[in-house]
Amino acid sequence: MKIKFILNENEVSIDVDPMKRLLDILREDFGLTGTKEGCGEGECGACTVLLDGKPVTSCLVNAVHIDGKEVMTSEGIAQEPLGKLLIDCFDETNAVQCGFCFPGFLVTSYHYLITDGEKNPDKIKKALSGNICRCTGYQKIFESVMLACERKPLISTDQVN
Amino acid sequence: MKFIRPNDMEGLFQNMEENNDRRYFLAGGTDINVQIKNGVIKNAEIIYIKHLKELNGIQIVKDDIVIGAVTNITEILNSKIIKENLPFFQRSLESFASPLLQTSATIGGNIANGSPTADVVPLLLVLDAKLEIVSKTQTRIIELNNFFTGYKTNIMKTNELIRSIIIPRKAENGFDTYFEKVGSRKSLMISKVTLAGLKNISHSKFTTVKLAVGSLNEYPRRLYKIEEYLTDKSLIEINFLKVEELLNEEITPITDLRSDKEYRYHVCVNLIRTFLNE
Repeated sequence: MKIKFILNENEVSIDVDPMKRLLDILREDFGLTGTKEGCGEGECGACTVLLDGKPVTSCLVNAVHIDGKEVMTSEGIAQEPLGKLLIDCFDETNAVQCGFCFPGFLVTSYHYLITDGEKNPDKIKKALSGNICRCTGYQKIFESVMLACERKPLISTDQVN
Repeated sequence: MKFIRPNDMEGLFQNMEENNDRRYFLAGGTDINVQIKNGVIKNAEIIYIKHLKELNGIQIVKDDIVIGAVTNITEILNSKIIKENLPFFQRSLESFASPLLQTSATIGGNIANGSPTADVVPLLLVLDAKLEIVSKTQTRIIELNNFFTGYKTNIMKTNELIRSIIIPRKAENGFDTYFEKVGSRKSLMISKVTLAGLKNISHSKFTTVKLAVGSLNEYPRRLYKIEEYLTDKSLIEINFLKVEELLNEEITPITDLRSDKEYRYHVCVNLIRTFLNE
């Protein structure tokens, strides 16, 4: 099946098995290995990407689902001002240990930052509840997203200027 | 694996004419992809239906709210129509799987998949939901309570599918509502016991009681015997030993890796007490 979609702001097309998982398309066909396979069952969140602006576990999304849609991966987000801000905040608070879950956390945190962004621990915990980290405990991850929420207004101003 | 992406409902029905036990519908994909990965589904015929507009969306139709079967949970959580008419239903769905799965998972998929632990089913049961089941030649409306026939089985023929879920617009009106999903963590939790309840009280007697449980039988169901026993009684007239006895007749909890049957039974008793006392 021939599908077209927007991948990190570039229009792409590919002839692919309609059931091929988005996770595998990203990693094998486009070399975007930031998206990780953890459980492969939608429970760990390591493979999270944005599909039409909403976070999904790409291990449960098939090629047919993304035809005509927009996909944003951790690589794309890392190029965005708010993505860069989040990476700096993860760095500053030492939120990352082994790093395997981090691209997923980046995507979900970025989605929270652009759709809500309130510095509210309960909301942040809920937003990140589909992502699992087995190294750090979650406190430092929450702290880094809190920090990013605090600094978000500065970034937005820079953009306008 | 045979894959079909029909262009419209007519194309869909054309592809469903022949009987096929290995036919699966692909909507959100959150269950089927796990089953494919684990080898439970193989050599199957897969029909993609997520894009069909007749199966999508939330509408008010006369006295009912009609939710297309492939509408995802996030859409229901964000729907103004649901917020205004069925706020208890909307609030309760926040505990569905995880925010990441809510974006893909569909309401019809959660029902048709037939899991005993399906998050939406106990809620829909106390809201007296019906299902619109369609085939090429006929449409039938059946009560959700009559849909399941056993573990992961239901009354649909292989040439039928769920088109929509129909909930009376005033299903929650005037009721005290209760929903509790018990498990080991908050997110991504597969329920050990789920209880949904509606009640109203007049002159300190329960005038209407609706109760439904999940994870305690082969499929979620209403507790009609307990409802009948509680109706027209005040709290002090209720003999909880009798409630426990009736519960024993209505549920068949099992011991599995998530919990054991004694625990499930006692938690269910406690949830019913909490529901009545609140």
